[in-house]
Amino acid sequence: MIKLIEKIEGEAKLNFHFKNNKIDNVDVDFMSTRHIEDILKGKSPLDALVINPRVCGICGHAHLIATVRALEDCYESIEISNKAKIIRELTLNFELIQNHFKWFYLTIFPLFGFKQNVMKAVIPSQLMGKAIALFGGQYPHTSYAIVGGVVCEITQMDLIKLGHYIDETIQFFEKNLLDVDVQMLQDCDNVMNVLSKSGDLVDVLHLIEKNGWLEYGKSYDRFIVFGESSYFTKGKSIKTRVMHNLFLEDVIESVSTTSFAKSVHYHGKYYEVGPLSRAMVKKTPLIKDAHKKYTDSIFTRILARVCEISQLLLHCKSLITELDLSEPSYIKPKMDITSLNSSGSSAVEAARGTLIHKVVIEDSLIKSYEIITPTQWNLCGGVNENHGVSQKAMIGLENIEIAELVFKSFDVCSVCTTH
Amino acid sequence: MKKKVRILWLGLMTCNGNTHSFLNYPHLEQFFNDFEFIYHPIIDSEYSLEDIISQDIACDVLLIEGAIADDFIKADVLGIDIIKKYSKIVSKIVTVGTCATFGGIFKESHYKNVSGLHFREDKRTEKYNHLFEKTISISGCPIHPETLVSTLYAIKKGLSLKLDSYLRPKDYFAYTVHNGCTRNEYFEYKVDNHHFGELEGCMFYDHGCQGPLTHGSCNKILWNEINSKTRAGLPCMGCTEPSFPKQNLFSTKKNMGIPEFLPVGVNKRVYLTLAGITKAFKIDRLQKKLLDD
Repeated sequence: MIKLIEKIEGEAKLNFHFKNNKIDNVDVDFMSTRHIEDILKGKSPLDALVINPRVCGICGHAHLIATVRALEDCYESIEISNKAKIIRELTLNFELIQNHFKWFYLTIFPLFGFKQNVMKAVIPSQLMGKAIALFGGQYPHTSYAIVGGVVCEITQMDLIKLGHYIDETIQFFEKNLLDVDVQMLQDCDNVMNVLSKSGDLVDVLHLIEKNGWLEYGKSYDRFIVFGESSYFTKGKSIKTRVMHNLFLEDVIESVSTTSFAKSVHYHGKYYEVGPLSRAMVKKTPLIKDAHKKYTDSIFTRILARVCEISQLLLHCKSLITELDLSEPSYIKPKMDITSLNSSGSSAVEAARGTLIHKVVIEDSLIKSYEIITPTQWNLCGGVNENHGVSQKAMIGLENIEIAELVFKSFDVCSVCTTH
Repeated sequence: MKKKVRILWLGLMTCNGNTHSFLNYPHLEQFFNDFEFIYHPIIDSEYSLEDIISQDIACDVLLIEGAIADDFIKADVLGIDIIKKYSKIVSKIVTVGTCATFGGIFKESHYKNVSGLHFREDKRTEKYNHLFEKTISISGCPIHPETLVSTLYAIKKGLSLKLDSYLRPKDYFAYTVHNGCTRNEYFEYKVDNHHFGELEGCMFYDHGCQGPLTHGSCNKILWNEINSKTRAGLPCMGCTEPSFPKQNLFSTKKNMGIPEFLPVGVNKRVYLTLAGITKAFKIDRLQKKLLDD
């Protein structure tokens, strides 16, 4: 039985195979691509800063940051001010937050029988858009992070305004998603305390319990995080055992014969990426507790993503206090990038998980460019008997409505997956 | 209940950037009082994409986002077949974004005859000539949400909009991105020592800014209500224009020291004369940092 999954930044097709009234296998098919990697070939390296945000309308900023870091990695050494690093981290976090709000209110909330609440999605995401625009001039599709730093200069007055955007977003979170002081939530290590509160998140979690869906959405219980920041930790977690030694060169893409999306594995194994993975590797107390009770089910996955909003907002507030405005925003690289024959790679944490960019520069132009998106990790079909992460999570379910919920709990982005 | 204008938002070869830019419109609640989507890429709608494809649903305005190709398939049908069907049903078509208008970035993908609805870059495509009269173009990568929403209201009210030769409403596209830029004085007096990361300086002379030659209201109505790329210090990439994206976007191509592309309507002689005069003066205020004593 084939089901077209719509409104996921494009479409995907799920072909369900049933055996004894249970899903025995699912083919995941993304039907179109836009050949971004080929479009980049032969372009001036810096032009990738303009083209790559256009991989995706909802996480394009992560593509910008991945691009600038991959290009900077082409240098043997390059100086970036601490101020520029913090600003880049802030704007990337703001994008994650807007994406999490949109995912919850536009995608997840309606799957639990609530009317889609567009305004609850856009009010906080507009605030985060303003916060990015303060530095980048606009959102979406700015290219303000360039090789050597960021193009903007900011003042104390900008930071006052920024503080308001963040505080308003925190208030929105407390008023709508989870009626608890975000600072207290930070220290919470018992998921029962969350369930005793009110808010749209709590309503959804209660419904998962009430409907008997706590077992749904479980996959390999294997998580991986490549992007490092002052908040996120690199590492992998396998059944709660965390290791931090990871090598980007061991991430392998395999071409699928049926879908435009390429699957991604690490040492031959599929891993989940995204907010749940980040919380498992970072050992966030609340998510660890939920995981202990419900492992990698939709319950834990949804909780992890929504709670990452408040964690990131608080972290941004503390990052701002570390800004030294007397530092330069931009330090001109000693060599022009077009004079390098080199290659570089980067990994950043986008809203949906680890995003990897790899570039080769030769004769002043981009010779090749490879993009591995978070949704490729989570959603692509596996090779042969080795099921992909979302496939594994859907196998054994009894109906396709629940399977759709499980699929969307990973947050599907068709445009990113195939780019 | 008053009748709402029914819109089909059709996404083809796109990154969905226009969809998300639209969500930044500050008065969306008002918008939803007057308009409804029969289908939208992320907002819930009365009909599914499968309904849209299998039936003929009543609709007033067709919005096309993304580049158009002869062989691009959406949900098992050709994208152009969906356009053909609904272009007959609706009274107006709006191309949303530079891809749908001129082909944009994805005109370089491997599909067949990739273009905007009526233009491939600045050339007319002819194929949809019969739809030319009912089309309005809102270019931009992405579109500014106000340009789209106000145009939809103009359609609702039956206003006759003045359009430029690419069918873009002059209310927004008669301006250049340069209009309203906070760095204007550095341009006017040709202070050409711009460095990234500073409040001061104009990116036109060295860093590829296309603001003076790009049609758009970025610096008049601002982005996200607060800023613009050029105000922030990022060169205008000319994203509303047929030529987007040009090459070497962060540097200004020059011949004998003169920028190859000059401001709209300014010829080389005028430019050289003015440049010569302004260069003869040194304005101390514009040589200093803005916030210094």
